[in-house]
Amino acid sequence: MFQRKKECIAMLLAGGQGSRLYVLTKDTAKPAVPFGGKYRIIDFPLSNCINSGIDTVGVLTQYQPLELNDYIGNGQPWDLNRNWGGAHVLPPYTGTKSDSWYKGTANAIYQNIAFVDRYNPEYVAVLGGDHIYKMDYNKMLRYHKEKGAECTIAVMPVSMEEATRMGIMSADENGAITDFEEKPKQPKSNLASMGIYIFTWATLREYLIADEDDPNSENDFGKNIIPNFLKDGRPMYAYSFEGYWKDVGTLNSLWDANMDLLDPSDPINMRDPSFRIYARNYSAPATRLGSGAKVTNSFVAEGCTIRGNVEHSVLYTGCQIEEGAVVTGAVVMPNAVVRKGANLSYCIVGEQCVIEEGAKIGERPENYLDADWGIAVVGHQRTITAGSVVKPKEII
Amino acid sequence: MKMTGIIFSEMYTDALNSLTQDRNMGAIPFGGRYRLVDFALSNMVNSGILNVGVLVKQHYHSLMDHLSNSQEWDLNRKNGGLQLLPPFTTENAHTGDSRGKLDELRNALDYLETISTTPYVLMADAYVLCNIDYRAALEEHIASGCDITMFATKVTESSQQEYASVMGADSNHKMTSYALSYTAKPGEYASMGHMIISREFLINVIKDYTARGIYDFLRDFVQHEFNRGRLSVNIYEVDSTVLRIRNMNDYFQSSLAILNDDVAADLFRGDRPIHTRVTDEVPAYYGLECQATRSIIADGCIVDGCVESSVVSRGVKIAKGAKLKNCVIMGGSEVGEGACLENVIVDKRVTISAGAQLKGLASNPVVIRKGVTV
Repeated sequence: MFQRKKECIAMLLAGGQGSRLYVLTKDTAKPAVPFGGKYRIIDFPLSNCINSGIDTVGVLTQYQPLELNDYIGNGQPWDLNRNWGGAHVLPPYTGTKSDSWYKGTANAIYQNIAFVDRYNPEYVAVLGGDHIYKMDYNKMLRYHKEKGAECTIAVMPVSMEEATRMGIMSADENGAITDFEEKPKQPKSNLASMGIYIFTWATLREYLIADEDDPNSENDFGKNIIPNFLKDGRPMYAYSFEGYWKDVGTLNSLWDANMDLLDPSDPINMRDPSFRIYARNYSAPATRLGSGAKVTNSFVAEGCTIRGNVEHSVLYTGCQIEEGAVVTGAVVMPNAVVRKGANLSYCIVGEQCVIEEGAKIGERPENYLDADWGIAVVGHQRTITAGSVVKPKEII
Repeated sequence: MKMTGIIFSEMYTDALNSLTQDRNMGAIPFGGRYRLVDFALSNMVNSGILNVGVLVKQHYHSLMDHLSNSQEWDLNRKNGGLQLLPPFTTENAHTGDSRGKLDELRNALDYLETISTTPYVLMADAYVLCNIDYRAALEEHIASGCDITMFATKVTESSQQEYASVMGADSNHKMTSYALSYTAKPGEYASMGHMIISREFLINVIKDYTARGIYDFLRDFVQHEFNRGRLSVNIYEVDSTVLRIRNMNDYFQSSLAILNDDVAADLFRGDRPIHTRVTDEVPAYYGLECQATRSIIADGCIVDGCVESSVVSRGVKIAKGAKLKNCVIMGGSEVGEGACLENVIVDKRVTISAGAQLKGLASNPVVIRKGVTV
């Protein structure tokens, strides 16, 4: 009997809580957090998959999966609705042998070995759902094959200071990984793991089963699987990625990444028609500008109504900015309403918030000491009453 | 749902000839991101209609492309869904221009006969833009006991405006007079190309009339039968915004009309969205020197110039120093630095060179055809 076979499928780890996004991830998983006007974070890895020719993606969910499940649906927005393959949401499940939550990233894949085996793939890409980047995984796969690797890890040079917070690789001149340290105090190299792996499935499968049998393991890729590969001298290579890659795991980095969209040099390369980022679209009419509107240096999604003054901001689908409202350096998430005379500066306003008349959210940094200033954040579906103030750094 | 929808996508295609070289009426872009057909189609879907046939005849490639698998309208159904109804070519088929609605409907005969679970048919012209719930109209039609229900707006002021048909009615909305291609007096009703009729009745009319070589639905069937007292007509009054696009000037005025908040509120309702094809454009970027007021700007645009009272479709680039006033710019066009446009309709993928000056009249806009460089 001939068994159908996929060369490479992807497993997308989307169960993270994203606790450093506080109010924005109270009721939703981090990959479902809105980004860049019309997207959600998960649109980036999903679109990368389809743009790389990977048409089978298992999305591993755990924390607050409702919104994410709904969003992914049958995968159609990413062209991932396939008869054989496509997008599959894989929540933890109960079985005869085990019934447990995903204990760690490796355990999440372990629990879905049957899913992967169904496609009988040669390679499996294991991806995080926390970053904004465009990457052709197919190039990385080619590298993986050329090197005869069993594991390839995408890496990026970072500053030595950042290196202390990340998984750091040392590699020889051929790219073979010689050392790996999770959050080292004294980094030996500045090559940080991007949390993007390609494994030869047969090898990974073996290691996942062995790891599950190890009672001392935390069942985590960074802490267990990669060190075990290294210890056993498995061929493991670092794949250097050049391009935009941004962690949006904190409120500040999320705001920063949104502001990067206003950079005229388009560092994310959002407009490249040959490598589009897809998103689930809602039927909103085109954005309307009122007679008194002034919009400069801003990124604006569909369905907005703007009658006030917007500069240096990112407005998500369906926002309303009323007359006399001033919005500067703000990230305003879907369907938020900013009433007359309200003032938003250097802030993130969550989905469906209502900022009543004359309310003031955030402030410019100039009048503050560095330590006292930060962006102000209003969580989803909050109403800020008329005339009230949300100070810089405040999160409500 | 007891009703099937039939959309006529070809009406007035000739009257808009600069815009219909490569597309039929239903595929004309509108409102920054829509095509005319989206309105009737979305109304049907929002009213729970699951069977929709779209009658097409000529250069309908663009419409097919737009409707694709009709997934955006949620009409990719196992049972029912959307069906394109092109001419049925047989040995003695008429392949020239449409000779009338009955001629077109003949191509829908098979379709109408297969959808036997829906006793009623709603016929809608793609040239009419509105946002209405057809369910209420069907209820009224059934309660009226009439042969046909025609949708209409009540005329409040006298004007020179000519309508496809003008109707008088009694206090029960029963039609009492009927005139074709006529101006309306205050209190009379102006047709809007929407009708409800029983499916079996319609099938009989199509067979009977086309067999005798009669093709004009309104003149040869409605008017003829009504004048002989053999047809009862109920008028369903629509009191929200109805835009009728029968010629270039109508198209221009209607495009700019949606800049009015009350018109937009009627057409684009949150509870009954107008659906359209998704193109996965990035959000629009407004540059440092952008001055855009009282306009509609779709996604994918890069706006650095000055835009006033205009409708700008997806993926349009407006360079620094360019000035647009009362313009309709369709998808993918570029307006070069310092170009100055007033009362201009720019079709898709047009390049307006830097410094170009184009000025039309509010009553007679300049129209730039698809793909050209000016």
